[in-house]
Formats: sequence, C-alpha cells, structure tokens
Amino acid sequence: MATATAELKGKTAIVTGGTRGIGRAIAERFLKAGANVVITGRDAKKGMTAAEELDRTSSHLRCVPADQARDADWSKVVDAALSGFGRLDILVANAGLSYPSPAIDITLHDFRAINAANLKGTFLGLKHATAAMRRHGEGGSIILLASIVGIIGSRNFLHYAASKGGVRLMAKAAALELGPEKIRVNSIHPGLVKTDMTERFDEKVYANAIPMGRFAQPSDIAGAALFLAGPRSQFVTGSQVVVDGGFTIQ
Amino acid sequence: MSANLKDRTIVVTGATKGIGRATAAALTREGARVVATGRDRAAGEETRRRAEAAGSACLFIEHDVRDENGWETMFAAAEKQFGPVHGLVNNAGAFFVKPLADTSEADFDAIYETNVEGTFLGIREAFRWFKRSGTAGAIVNVSSLMGQVGFPNAVAYCATKGAITAMTKTAALEGAQMSPKVRVNSLHPGVIWTPMITDQFGDDPALQEAFAAETPLRMIGRPEYMADAILFLLGDDALLMTGAELTADGGRGAD
Repeated sequence: MATATAELKGKTAIVTGGTRGIGRAIAERFLKAGANVVITGRDAKKGMTAAEELDRTSSHLRCVPADQARDADWSKVVDAALSGFGRLDILVANAGLSYPSPAIDITLHDFRAINAANLKGTFLGLKHATAAMRRHGEGGSIILLASIVGIIGSRNFLHYAASKGGVRLMAKAAALELGPEKIRVNSIHPGLVKTDMTERFDEKVYANAIPMGRFAQPSDIAGAALFLAGPRSQFVTGSQVVVDGGFTIQ
Repeated sequence: MSANLKDRTIVVTGATKGIGRATAAALTREGARVVATGRDRAAGEETRRRAEAAGSACLFIEHDVRDENGWETMFAAAEKQFGPVHGLVNNAGAFFVKPLADTSEADFDAIYETNVEGTFLGIREAFRWFKRSGTAGAIVNVSSLMGQVGFPNAVAYCATKGAITAMTKTAALEGAQMSPKVRVNSLHPGVIWTPMITDQFGDDPALQEAFAAETPLRMIGRPEYMADAILFLLGDDALLMTGAELTADGGRGAD
C-alpha cells in the first residue's frame, strides 16, 4: 500500500511490554508508521535503554515503568499518553508472563500470578483505554495479544491457557459492546515466536511441526498489529488473527 | 440412558441449585454415588434429598470452590464415604452482566476467583486423586456459550468462561498422558432457566418466552437438558471424547 508507511500519523498508541520481544517490534513498527507511542515495562532501566534505541529524538516515544496487573499503574500509563500526546487511539495489551508446569504441580500462587498479569492486566487495560478513547469519541483500536494456546491446548501450560483463553473471549465480548462507538477490539494469536519467552523451545525440533518451517519473528506479529491498529482494518472487529505459520490448521 | 455410571462416584460442585442440582439427581437415577458440594447447607441438603429420592446415595459437603485446602478435605471425605472418585463436574459459577466501564476490579476478581481459580483447583485436585487411586476419571467443566462467542456487557464473564474453555483443552492433553487416561471436556450451555439467570434478569415468564423466541429451536433451556449432556460426557458413550466443546444451546450459537 502506497500510504502504509504513514498510516498511523497523528495517532497515539500504548504498547505494554514494549521494551523487548514482540512488544518492542510493535512499538518500532508503529513509530515508523508515524504514531506516538507509550511503551511500558516492569523494569525502568530496561525501559530507558529501549526508549533510547527506539527513538533517539525522544519526540514520539515515552516509556513508563508499569505493572499491568496494577490498576494505579494503568492510570499512570494512560496519563502519559494524554499529557504527552493529547489523546489515545490504540492500545496493544502485549505484556505477559509464561512458564511451564504440569497441571498437577501448579501452585495457586503461580496460577494467580500469571492470570493477574495476562488476564486481569488485559481487563484493566481494556477498561482504561476505552475511557481514554471516549474522551475524543472518534473510536480506536484495541489489540489484545493472546496465543494459539487458548485456541488449542498446550501440555504444562494450564495457567497460561486459562489466561489466553480468557483474553480471546474478552476481545469478542468487548468488540460487541464497543462496536457502536467505533472502538474495535481484536486478538492476535502468535504461535512460536523467537523471543526470550520461547528460548526453551528448540527451533530445529519444533519447526518441523510448523507448515512454514520456522518460528515467527517478532516483526511478523508487528505486521499483524500494524494492520489491526490502522485504517486498513476499519471493518475488522472481534476477530482472532492467528499468526502461527499454519501450526494450528493441521 | 446407557451412560454406564452405576456405582461410580461423581463430585458435582455448585450442586445447591440449577444445573448442579439437576445433575446430582440425574446421576443418582443412573445408580452413581454423588457428592454434591456448595456453600449453602440447607439448599445442599435439599439437593441430597431430591437426589436420593431419584435413586442411589448422595452426600452433601459444604465447600466453596475458592477454598484451596477445602478441595482436599472434600475429596478425602468423598472417598471415605463412597470409595475412589471417578468423575468431577466443575459446575459452580458466578455470573453478572455489566458494562465494561461499570465493572470494578473487585467485580472482576470475584468472578475470576469462582469461575477460573475454582475450576483450576478442581482439575488439579481431581488429577491428584485419579492418579493416586489409579482411576480412569472424567472431568466435565461447565463453561458457557459465552465461552465460545462474545456477548455485550459481559467482558468479565466471557473472560472467565473463555478461560475454562481453554483450560479444558490443556487439561485434556495432560489427562491423556496419565495412566489410566483421564478425559476432560467442556459443556457450553446457552440460556438455561436457573437462579443464575433469574437472579440477574428476574423470574419473568414473558422474559422466558422472549429468550425462547430468539433461540432457533424456540425452547428455553432446562437444567435437566444440561444434566443429560453432562452424564453423556462423564460416561462410556463419550470414551473417545476429550478436549471437546459440547454446545447445548438450542442453536443460539449457530445463529
């Protein structure tokens, strides 16, 4: 598309977990598309480094240390978008936790930690972002990062499956509720992506099971996020965009 | 019925009313021994009376699915009374409809703890006891049509039911690796006329008709229909089914 490079010009986006991996690739892509971006991360120092690397002029990027499971932190993040750039148009709820354990050994503490970050954190983000988008009344795009786990099962990830399956339906319910206000809500379902989170998976072993023969790069997910963020997807809402190289179609 | 549930011990949570109560009675009718659980002792004893009037033995145990330690105590009491547990119906659930903006963090936490953590704790506990007793167990998680498709003003509820739908598949994969094998499936009721619905919308015959009119089969859901579906998933007629989603909604989801 000829205009694709500046398709987010004048828009402001929040990307949680934007200091590394998929979130960072999304922030980078949004900046290139002309957006103002607020990234969050739990580690302030990592956030500063990422922010400097992503936007040397610091004119289009803010970094806010935040834990998305905390309601008060969400207020800070949205305030940063509103005070820094005047409005909010896009939320990418990307931050998330994952670690494996057989179901039988998952402690309630761990189950709760993963769901606080992934499920409740996404709920709080949805709520805060919607309130901010209502201030200008021009609608917006909310993108929830789920996973193919949540559509299919995954051994040793019962806690993670709960959180991502919850996010999948949260997107659909919110899309129905917010459609009349032109706030679109979609979910992205990555398969195996080359990030810190998937270091434990040997690409040589798993790639055989993926029709495309490789893991996704964070940029593959960023491409889907850019499409869902901008005007090219203006009629797309409540959709689950699977980006897994064909893994789940088998 | 040919559910082959005779003399099997089945735990049903949230059995003080609605789908849980109907399931307890359907199970005793098939000769299963039922452990009915819930928070309301008086209502639980009424479930026990009705279930025993329908057939075999039923025991009510007061338990809140959010109480982690209570799960072990409850399973121990069930086994002591009836022998090894063969099945668990994770039925207890909370429900509310509210716009996103009005749904507080406390609202979200409350519905999450009952529906998501309660189901997780049930799966984990059942896995432990099936493993210990060497039982080819079956688990039925009661999700919802709203764990398959969205519904306006139900972000929190849909999130919890989507979580149950997804947990079922992962639990099914792990259960399939256990020896003996454990099956885990989810049931997805549409609008079922129970206190869960009437507490939210009122027990109004006109509303019942309105729900029926917008359902393709032009029927209102009855708890007994859900009990039939749960018994099917628990029993030997469903031996090849695991990780499956069984929708029983009069066709609402297809519409």
